[in-house]
Amino acid sequence: MIRDWLKTIIGQAPMPENIAERAKMIEFADTHHVLGQMAVTWEGKTEGKLKEVLENGLLRTGFDHRMLRFEKDRITRALLGSGIAPILLKGGAYVAVGSKAAKGRRVSDIDIMVSEEQLDQTEGLLRAAGWEFDETTNNDYDIAYYRKYMHELPPLRHNKRQTVVDVHHHLLPRTSRIKLQSNLMLDAAMPLAGGKLKVLAPVDRFIHSAVHSFADGSFDTPARTLVELYYLLRDLSTEEQKNINIRAADVGATQPVATALWILADVLDDTVADTLLKASNAKPSGLIVRYALKQKLMHINKAYSAKTILLIRSHYLRMPWHLLLAHLLRKAIRNVRTLLKRADQEDS
Amino acid sequence: MKNEFQRLGDYHREDIDVALRSGSLEMELGPFSMRLEGREADIVDFLFDAYRDAPVRLKLGDVTDVAINVRPPNIIRKYIRRQVIADPGFIVPAVPLPPYLSPLAFEMGLNLAIALKCCRFTTFHSAVVGNERGAILISAHSGGGKSTLASALMVEGYRLFSDEFGLLDMETGMLHPYPRPVSLKEKSIDIVREFTGEKWLTKTFGGTPKGDIAYRRVRPSDIQLSKTPMAAKLILFPVFQEDTPPSVRELSKSETIMKLIPSSTNYHLLGTASFEALIKMVAGAQTFEITYGNTQDSLEITRDLAAKAGL
Repeated sequence: MIRDWLKTIIGQAPMPENIAERAKMIEFADTHHVLGQMAVTWEGKTEGKLKEVLENGLLRTGFDHRMLRFEKDRITRALLGSGIAPILLKGGAYVAVGSKAAKGRRVSDIDIMVSEEQLDQTEGLLRAAGWEFDETTNNDYDIAYYRKYMHELPPLRHNKRQTVVDVHHHLLPRTSRIKLQSNLMLDAAMPLAGGKLKVLAPVDRFIHSAVHSFADGSFDTPARTLVELYYLLRDLSTEEQKNINIRAADVGATQPVATALWILADVLDDTVADTLLKASNAKPSGLIVRYALKQKLMHINKAYSAKTILLIRSHYLRMPWHLLLAHLLRKAIRNVRTLLKRADQEDS
Repeated sequence: MKNEFQRLGDYHREDIDVALRSGSLEMELGPFSMRLEGREADIVDFLFDAYRDAPVRLKLGDVTDVAINVRPPNIIRKYIRRQVIADPGFIVPAVPLPPYLSPLAFEMGLNLAIALKCCRFTTFHSAVVGNERGAILISAHSGGGKSTLASALMVEGYRLFSDEFGLLDMETGMLHPYPRPVSLKEKSIDIVREFTGEKWLTKTFGGTPKGDIAYRRVRPSDIQLSKTPMAAKLILFPVFQEDTPPSVRELSKSETIMKLIPSSTNYHLLGTASFEALIKMVAGAQTFEITYGNTQDSLEITRDLAAKAGL
C-alpha cells in the first residue's frame, strides 16, 4: 500500500478512490514530511478538503524555505571577509539551485561543508555570530570525538533564532568502512551567484544523497529519502544520468548508488533508475540489507527486525569495532552518571 | 444508509463507539474536519456529554484537516496501570493520563493539532464571541479569565466562536468560528454554573494536572452559525487581579499587534500574509486592556465597550 501511496505522492499514480485509504495516505505524507512535495505535484488538480489539506503542507514548507534563505544569508555574513565559501549540502543546496527535489520539501537543519583546514575558523566565526553547541555536546569528549571520528561538528544552534547548522568537514565519518573520495566531489563543487557559497555538481548531489541514505545512518526517513532521490534523478539531463555510474565508481560510491537505483526501480517502478542500474555492473547492498530497507519503508511503524538490522549495520559502517565499543561504553557510563545525578537532585 | 452529517446525540451509543474504535468518526466544526479515534468508553461518554450537538458522520466522507488518536503510550500501559495519550500524528511531549481523564487528553491533543497543523489561518490563543454585527477577540494566557468572560458573554446573547482559537482568515482578515466546548478550571466552574445553569455544564473531572476541569457545552445555535466568519470589532486583553477596582486602558494599534503576535502559534510560519491579515483585523477594531477583580466587573466593562464599538 505504501508503494502505491509513494507513487501517488510523486504524481505517478492516481489518488486512491477509497476515502479511508486516501485519508491514511494524507496522514502518512504529513507524518513523513512529504505533504508539501505532494501538494506541489497535485497543485491545481484537487478540490475541496483535499485541496485545503495540501495547502497546509505548502504553507508549512513556505516557512522552511524562507528560513533557509535567511539563514543562508546570515551564514554568509558570519563568514564575510574570511574567504571561506562553504558548500551547501542536501536541502539547502536543492532550494538554492531550484532543484525539483526542493519544491515543497521540508527543511529543518542547514548542512554546510568546509575543508578541514577551514574548520576551526568556520566554527569560531559561526560561534561569534551566535551559534552555540547544545549543552549535551559541549564537553571535551564530544568536541574531540566529532572532529576526530565523525564527519561533522555537533549541531550548532543559534542562541536567538534556534536554527541549527551542521558543519561538515567530510561527507562520511572518517572511520567509515566506505572510503568516499569526497575531495573529488569538493573539487567539482560549483559556486552560487555571488560566489560566497557553493553547491555540489548535479550528479554529485544525487551521489551524496545516495551515500547519505545507504552508506550512513539507518534509513531513518525512508519516504522522504525515496522522494528526494526520485526528483534528484529527474534534475539531471540524459547525459548526466548516464554519467552517474562512472562518477560513482570514481568517487568510491558504487554500492550506495546502486542501492539507490535499485530501490527507486523496485519500489517506484522508476524506469530511468532501472535502465541505469542494468547498464552498470555495480551491485546494490546484499539481500538482507535490501530486505530490511524495503521492510522499513513499507512498514515504517513495525518492521522491528528490519530496524534492528539497519541500526546494527549503521554502526558497523560507521567505525571499526574497537572504536565503537569504546565509544558506546563511554556513552553508557555518561548516561548512568546523568541518571545518578538526577536521582541525587530529586532526593535533595 | 446514507453517510451524512447528523447531530452526534441522535446516534446510538454503539455506532459512535464502533466508529471511534475503527477511527472512521468524522466531526465537522467551523472550517475544520477532524478524524477521531480511540478505544476508551470515557471518550464516548464525553462526546455525548460535551459534543452532543456537533455534526458527525460514522464513515469518513473526505480527508480531514486533523486526526487524533487517543491510545496507550506504549504496549505495557495498554494493560498494566493503563494510561492514554492523544496522538495527532506528530511527536508531542504529552503527559500520559489515566483512562478516566482521556477526554482531557482528547481535548488537549485536538487543540495542539489545530494549533500546529492548520496553516490556512493565523491562529491566536484567545477566546472569540460575536453577534451579527461583529466579533470580540479576548486574548489572555491560560487562567487569565478568557473562558469565564466568554461564557458570561454567551449568556448575554453572543454566539461562541471558540474559547481557545482566534482563527484569522488571511485573505479577508475575518475571524472564523470553531465552536468546541469551553474549558473551565477550578473556581471558574462554579462561577459559570451560577450564571449559565447546570444544564449547560458537563461533568467535572477531578485530579487533573490543572486541578478540576469542566466544560461548558456549545449551543446548537453556535454550531449552526459556525460557517459564518465576522470581522473583529473589539479586542480585549483581560487582566484578572483579585480585589482590584475595574479599570480600562485603550491600547494603540501597534501595542495591540505586538501583544497579539506572541499569542499566535503559527504567525511566524506564515510570513507576509499573516502580517497583513493581522494589520487588517486590528485596523477595524477598538482595543483595550481591562483589569478587574470579579466576573461581574469584567462583564460590565465589556458591555460598555461593546456598545461603544457598535456591537
